[in-house]
Amino acid sequence: MAKNKIDKILVSILQRRFKSIVEEMSIAITMTTRSPILCEAQDFVTGLYDAHGKMLEQKENLPILSFSLGPVCEYIVDFFGDDIHAGDVIFHNDVFSMGNQNNDVAVYKPIFHGDTLVGWAAAKGHQADIGGAVRGGYNPQATEVWQEALRIPPVKVYEKGKKKKDVWGLIFANIRLKMVEEDMTAQMGSCTVGERGVQALIERYGLGVFDSHKQYLFDATEKMMRSEIRQIPNGVYEGEATGYYDGKNPGSKYTIRVKITVEDEDIHFDFTGTDPQTPGFVNGTFTSSASAVMLTFLQMVNPDIPHNDGMVRPVHINIPEGTVINASYPAATTYGNHLCPITASAIQRALAPVIPERVTAEWNSLLCSLSTGMDPRKGEPYVDICFMGLKGGSGGIQGCDGYDHIGMIDASGGVLDQDYEMFEQQTPHRLIRHELWKDSAGAGKWRGGLGVTTEIELGGEGNKFITFGEGDVEPPLGHHGGKPGSLNKIELHYPGGEVYHPTTKDLVNDVPAGTIYYQEAGGGAGCGNPKERPVQHVVDDVRNEKVSVEAAREAYGVVVDPGTLEVDEAETAKLRKP
Amino acid sequence: MRIGIDVGGTFTDFLLTLDDGTSEIYKTLSTPDDPSIATMRGIGEMAEKHGKDVADFLGGVDVIVHGTTVTTNAVLTYGGAKTGLLTTDGVRDALEMRRGIREEQYNNFYKNVEPLVERYLRIPVKERLGYSGETIIPLDISTVEDGVKRFQKKGVEAVAVCFMNSFANGEHEEMAANVVREKLPDAYLTVSSEFLPSIRFYDRVSTTVLNSYVGPILKHYLDALIKRLGEVKFGGVLLIMQSNGGVIAPEIASDNAAVTLLSGPAGGPVAGIAYCDIQGYSDSITMDMGGTSFDTALVKNREPFVTTVGEINRLRLALPMLNVVTIGAGGGSIGWIDEGGLLRMGPKSAGAKPGPACYGLGGELPACTDADLVLGYLDPEFFAGGRIKLDKSKAEAAIKTHVADKIGMTVEEAAAGMYNVINTNMAAAVREVAVKHGQDPRDFPLVVAGGAGPNHACMIALELEIPVMIIPRESSIFCAAGMLMSDLKHNFVRTYATMLRDADVNKFKSIFEEMKTGGIRLLKSENISEENVEFIYSLDLRYLNQYHEVSVEIPARLVEKADFAAMAKEFHPKHNRLYGYSLEEEGTGVELINIRLVAVGRTKKPSFLEQEFHGESPEHAKKGERRAWLPKQKEFADVQVYDAFALRNGNRLEGPAILEQVNTTTFVTPEYNVLVDRYGSYTVYLKEKEKAIRKRIES
Repeated sequence: MAKNKIDKILVSILQRRFKSIVEEMSIAITMTTRSPILCEAQDFVTGLYDAHGKMLEQKENLPILSFSLGPVCEYIVDFFGDDIHAGDVIFHNDVFSMGNQNNDVAVYKPIFHGDTLVGWAAAKGHQADIGGAVRGGYNPQATEVWQEALRIPPVKVYEKGKKKKDVWGLIFANIRLKMVEEDMTAQMGSCTVGERGVQALIERYGLGVFDSHKQYLFDATEKMMRSEIRQIPNGVYEGEATGYYDGKNPGSKYTIRVKITVEDEDIHFDFTGTDPQTPGFVNGTFTSSASAVMLTFLQMVNPDIPHNDGMVRPVHINIPEGTVINASYPAATTYGNHLCPITASAIQRALAPVIPERVTAEWNSLLCSLSTGMDPRKGEPYVDICFMGLKGGSGGIQGCDGYDHIGMIDASGGVLDQDYEMFEQQTPHRLIRHELWKDSAGAGKWRGGLGVTTEIELGGEGNKFITFGEGDVEPPLGHHGGKPGSLNKIELHYPGGEVYHPTTKDLVNDVPAGTIYYQEAGGGAGCGNPKERPVQHVVDDVRNEKVSVEAAREAYGVVVDPGTLEVDEAETAKLRKP
Repeated sequence: MRIGIDVGGTFTDFLLTLDDGTSEIYKTLSTPDDPSIATMRGIGEMAEKHGKDVADFLGGVDVIVHGTTVTTNAVLTYGGAKTGLLTTDGVRDALEMRRGIREEQYNNFYKNVEPLVERYLRIPVKERLGYSGETIIPLDISTVEDGVKRFQKKGVEAVAVCFMNSFANGEHEEMAANVVREKLPDAYLTVSSEFLPSIRFYDRVSTTVLNSYVGPILKHYLDALIKRLGEVKFGGVLLIMQSNGGVIAPEIASDNAAVTLLSGPAGGPVAGIAYCDIQGYSDSITMDMGGTSFDTALVKNREPFVTTVGEINRLRLALPMLNVVTIGAGGGSIGWIDEGGLLRMGPKSAGAKPGPACYGLGGELPACTDADLVLGYLDPEFFAGGRIKLDKSKAEAAIKTHVADKIGMTVEEAAAGMYNVINTNMAAAVREVAVKHGQDPRDFPLVVAGGAGPNHACMIALELEIPVMIIPRESSIFCAAGMLMSDLKHNFVRTYATMLRDADVNKFKSIFEEMKTGGIRLLKSENISEENVEFIYSLDLRYLNQYHEVSVEIPARLVEKADFAAMAKEFHPKHNRLYGYSLEEEGTGVELINIRLVAVGRTKKPSFLEQEFHGESPEHAKKGERRAWLPKQKEFADVQVYDAFALRNGNRLEGPAILEQVNTTTFVTPEYNVLVDRYGSYTVYLKEKEKAIRKRIES
């Protein structure tokens, strides 16, 4: 075979191998980390990159983290230049050198074949703590990055296989929890798994063949993406969506505006006109916002497109600096990942009229909480994000109901609930209730996904609660006659009977044991006229207490006897008459 | 005599082994409505062949080992029992929410799985235990009674009981179960704290519900089978295949029906062990390529790998099962061109109907079998021994329209591409199964099975640089053969959470002793005498503060000595191999979580008949020549065809070659030669390994 001849079959083999390697890397993190945010909820991503930092493949449990791994890798390649060696390990989280969020700390490991740098393995996870003013990270009072976190621009913690004890010591001296050190070690292990996988591939096929076939894979993938974009009519489409409360000024709001230009096989997302950055931590970074664009758009194209550099090439993103989704140095930005639902809504609103068959009605926006304090059973601090409580429903789409309890669009079902029993082992709290929330979904011919209600009795000492999110003002909007979804809410019921209603960006100190934490994560919006939903589907939902008898009548025009579940055909026909 | 019976979706396979070591293969069409009909029909055919009536014939049969997919199919088709769940108030939706996962994140048309118990039959019970099993809210029995009343009214046939934290304390569940036993005495009942007393609520509730959902189906089926066998005076032992690769008595299977849920491919690795033993290999990879799916598994030190985090139809099944990787690749897999112009194979399959285009049953899409036919590997007149005539022109037309024309290739090039891509997919699965356990596939012989397997094995092996393949004479009914070679197996697990080095020696040993006593008791009830009982010890270990464990097998001598330091030494390298690092040097503590025991009752295995040495020449088996595609050389050549059944011990032939049997065809590429071993299996090996292989086989 001539040196540059492409064996198309080998291209498929490489793509499959990359995919299975990033999956093995992901399994390694789940199985070895300590923080429930990682080992239970899987709030992490893994990826492989070529020598230049171009994406080969990613495992995107949380896509909002994924699409900054590549840009940071390119930054690292540029930063270290020829000072990259086998056995180096590099840490990074800095949001002003392409990181997406302070708490999302990445490990990069260069992969060598002999003396040649051939690629990178990377693993990034949401760490239980990253220094800054508040344990757990989210500090709604922050106005600059140093109040939020320890900044880690690219830094070598291992050089040529030798641990740099001084650097290592400096980093972990500024992080509260020992667990983080252990979890970063686990992420390094994951990168070693990736390194071994790629090295074995190159040993097998040779570097020349590897490079030429990788290039061909990028090109084939780009072609797939271009053919997807070609199916969207050319034109300029605009959309906007608003978030509420910047954590500082009651009544404040911020609007994200997008102009989408489709030109044959290229698509441009231009956010010029988006509101300026806020004084608090409600600010995004370029890469977290670009991730939000990618993950929203990827839901509108063929889901089987391989994820590599070729996929990204026809997608062009412009986010002016100084806006709320690309804040200037040294802004606080920890909230940035959670602007994703707003960015997603702006894009969906722009494209829904153009490709209605591919755009869902709106999803529940994320409202989340992080709790931290001492676990007296262990004599150790705990940190947990209440993943089970935050996961609302997705929007319906023509031909398919929304997905119940899928959670924020940033993850789209890639992040999991804590197992209930593991939750009670890992935190001092006790779960009272975690159930699908009746009537929370927007009605529609294809209804929205249901949200959930969660009640937790708090244990622990010195508990702090931090809330962050949206979705308490505007419910998600329905499409084509579908009804809106429902709002989010968090309440703290203190043992004395007092009820505290935190804002959507709040820090609540000294929450005593015995307090009941109550959360509603809303349902997604519906798609299509609810009176066209098949009667049997409505009856099924009534029987399973997902839709009430009243809502069946009012929203769907289906009259059901609450005892027998029999349908009053005549009355139903009357109510459903157009 | 012994009979292995494997009930599949299309065919029910039988392997009859006679006392002189010879064996006979039978296949009948399955009868999905009542699979015992096909079973009895097959037994009838055997009796007839031996000139006896069924009762007479069965009088000479000591053991029937039976593998069934009735439970698997019940889950896949939602054909299980109407099931009710009694669970702690507040968590009844865990079953349906599946921790909120959507496996295809970017696919907004991807639906959640329908739960096996609808919400209105998931009854919240007022009770609550704390994280260590202490009572927080006492059981309100009236909420159980109300639930059971609803079950009665709604015609519930099976009940699952699963309360929060019951892994630590089963009292509340037991009290609730008693109400069910009293009020719904005919309902099939599974109590989570008895069935699976281990932590993780979703895993436990899902597994408990699965057991109840399929329990009545399996019980009904086994009762019918036992009755039918009783009618014809079968006096031997009936054993049922489990997902863990062992067998159990039907009464025990009936109570623990979920242990059979993934038993379909479980016979494969067991058969692999037996065929490799003959040549002195203790490790192997098995592969089984049928019509729609490809199963592959790894065997190390004569033991298949076992996992406890499995799934069926995206529902968690947390029971020990053989780690079999299954992908959609088989003779029916369809070839297509994706938007980027790349050729893909499967996972869609043409199935039995309409089948590949060449079957002429109306299939228009090109399947793997069509490519195999175009490439000359299959004889259109001799497929399934001539029972199905293949139409080559239909195969060519399908490949031309749907593959070749779309990427500007000739039909033959396209067929070669299809052959390569599906082989790559299967090779990736084989690699995954090896790599998952940190093993290099090149170190293992590949044991090849399934109707389509031998036709593709050489290219899979070549891709993975596997030097040796073993293709058993019975490869087309591999799983049935495996069942006859399976031992009785019972899994036990007890939680003992402690730092390993601080474990109490007496407690540690007494837990093992207690489990051993239980194992001996069960095996006795299955007529296994104590000298045939063996134990396998393992520990679930992790580094301090981790939340997932690595299961590490521990040699018996270390258990006896309670040498905890040596046990930890077994853990560190395994952690590094799997996850890229170990903390041995750092001195991080090792935590013990679970103690596991497998009680094995060794059964009498069928003995293989040794053939007399027949000489090297394969001349007597030559059937003629056929034009076939050589994939590496990228050219057609005239290839010698042999009657595989006529080949005998010692016969040696050089690739390229085609070996035809009634139910399967083996294609040997030019890189490989074939040597028949003394039990009639075909050993296919890389030409440069000739010397080593001959030495091994002839010794």
